[in-house]
Amino acid sequence: MADPGSTTVPDTPVGVVDRFVGFGHALREHGLPVGSDDVLNFCAAIAELSPGDPHDVYWGGRTTLVHRRDHLPVYDKVFRAYFLHVPTPPDKPTPAEHPAPQGSTGTLHIPDSEPGDEPGGDQPLVLGLQASSVEIEREKRFAACSEEELARLRRIMARIRLEPPRRRTRRQTHSRAGARIDIRRMARDAMRLSDVAPELRRIDRKERARPLVLILDVSGSMADHSRNLLQFAYSMRRAAQKVEVFCFGTRLTRITPALDRRNPDDAMSLAAARVLDWDGGTRIGASLDHFVRTWGRRGLSRGATVVICSDGLDRGGPRQLTESMEKLSRLSHRIIWMNPLIGNDVDAPPNTLGMLAAAPYIDELASGHDLASLERFAARLPTAGG
Amino acid sequence: MSEATADGSPASVPELQQRLRSRGYLAGRGLATTAFIGLRLGQPILLEGEVGVGKTELAKSLAAVHGRELIRLQCYEGIDTHQALYEWDYARQILHVRALSERELTDSDAVSGLYSKDFLLERPLLRALRSGGDAVLLIDEIDRADDEFEAFLLEFLSEFQITIPEIGRVAATERPIVVLTSNRTRELHDALKRRCLYHWIGYPTVDEELEIVRLRAPGVANKLVEQVVSAVHQLRDMDLVKPPGVAETLDWVDALGVLGGEKLNGEAAADTLGSVIKDRDDLELVHAELDRLVADG
Repeated sequence: MADPGSTTVPDTPVGVVDRFVGFGHALREHGLPVGSDDVLNFCAAIAELSPGDPHDVYWGGRTTLVHRRDHLPVYDKVFRAYFLHVPTPPDKPTPAEHPAPQGSTGTLHIPDSEPGDEPGGDQPLVLGLQASSVEIEREKRFAACSEEELARLRRIMARIRLEPPRRRTRRQTHSRAGARIDIRRMARDAMRLSDVAPELRRIDRKERARPLVLILDVSGSMADHSRNLLQFAYSMRRAAQKVEVFCFGTRLTRITPALDRRNPDDAMSLAAARVLDWDGGTRIGASLDHFVRTWGRRGLSRGATVVICSDGLDRGGPRQLTESMEKLSRLSHRIIWMNPLIGNDVDAPPNTLGMLAAAPYIDELASGHDLASLERFAARLPTAGG
Repeated sequence: MSEATADGSPASVPELQQRLRSRGYLAGRGLATTAFIGLRLGQPILLEGEVGVGKTELAKSLAAVHGRELIRLQCYEGIDTHQALYEWDYARQILHVRALSERELTDSDAVSGLYSKDFLLERPLLRALRSGGDAVLLIDEIDRADDEFEAFLLEFLSEFQITIPEIGRVAATERPIVVLTSNRTRELHDALKRRCLYHWIGYPTVDEELEIVRLRAPGVANKLVEQVVSAVHQLRDMDLVKPPGVAETLDWVDALGVLGGEKLNGEAAADTLGSVIKDRDDLELVHAELDRLVADG
């Protein structure tokens, strides 16, 4: 909060209005979306208060010109500079000053979990191998995919019928086989056709796209599959609005904004650039815990179908995985675990410690080891869990 | 509510603060300014903030201060105009039609009688329009409603009038005081925000919270109040799933008051922790830290 101090605003009426309008402009220059109606509102508010009282000017402006909590720090700063003549540090470009992301877009700050685990240059990561039986093949990295490979994959992926899962809402609509009688329509009919017994009209609840959260394992042991999964995530994101995509190896990265690029190649390379731990080790438990604490609690996965794509080869302890899976299952509608290692035998018992730890909280298993299984998965998704 | 001043609204921000205070609501300068401007300019007030910081309470207190009726619309997923605005009482209409046709009374008066106010079920928004200047309309937890409803509300709040096809236009002679609250479970549409005066209610400072507790729970020992407020502020600094709001502070003080005692000790705190901490993971975390929390108080 700015401390208005003892400065007063000039009190000639014309000067005052100019000064207040100028304040609106100053806010706009600093990136706040201040419209003319807001400035009018501001002036009207000041007229009800006392224009000479800095407290009134501060609070009157704050309530009329600011519509988001994130914008408050910028407002405070501009207010100080404009009315109290406290200079703004010139070296800071202000529009980028918005504090930690609050909404659905933004970047994620990831703590350095293991300093020694940074993927350095192109050297193979030995750490990842402890958990993975698959040899790391650097060429398989998604970032290194050739244009040709990408295009081919994209063509195939585009053919998969992608539809987000649906859920029933509380809103109702006409339906022939609905469960409830539409008394509203029947009353109207009855009044129009007085003698004839009205036809039975029914309504049912509408369906809506259910949010989908994809959490992809891009660690070393998944190197064969990670680019397919990412392409799958991209297609999914294109097909539906409420899709969030995260990647993890040793740490969790939100790549949803990167996938919004229109050009698929741009989107993929941007997403690839965001993920710092391609083909490294796996810490599923810690990554899921991070997801639950940072995103799940805020309601990102509420009512959502969460798809975790991982082989379950976890370098962290099974305890943390169990705990975070339990929390996740309480924060989301349904958890589908896609494990490429299980192949076509979806009913096979869990084969790794990670899968064993997670198993009680998984609602459905899928494989996703080849295109056919991805297609099967996509076909089942709309009705998964109703 | 009866002895509240009917002689018009407060003339200044401090006066409004004073009147709210006499109703047991402590409003900071910023919140009081927002409310004051909202009253004067007839604009809706949008309050956002953490859970339990007194968003809903402001509307109740404003109603009490002005001696107005509080009309509350609790939003929920799937709420539509029939639940928010009005609905015809179809079952009664059908019965009425039956009765009319049996007696072969089908002249135009009888038919237009079907759409009279007798068959109209008023819902909160229509009631607020009709009451106009005698009402405070609280639209609670708007973030729970879906975006279709938000769009409808936008229209309602800009015109303060609606059209019922069978009856005609209903407009507010005088605008009601409108308070919207949101817990930010989702971001509201910018257009709606622009219609409103915006205020973010944060957690109060230690001094403010002490004052609130003393105002709302006058009989409780001073030492106890200080300890509780200090403990609650430490709880808010911990990484909890659900940090306690002011409502929880008051609940806790009440709970401790029931147990009796002048001071907060570890045992009493442990027994009553359920009134401040509402999450199992948090409970485990806090139990481990309990002695420190109480000792510092």
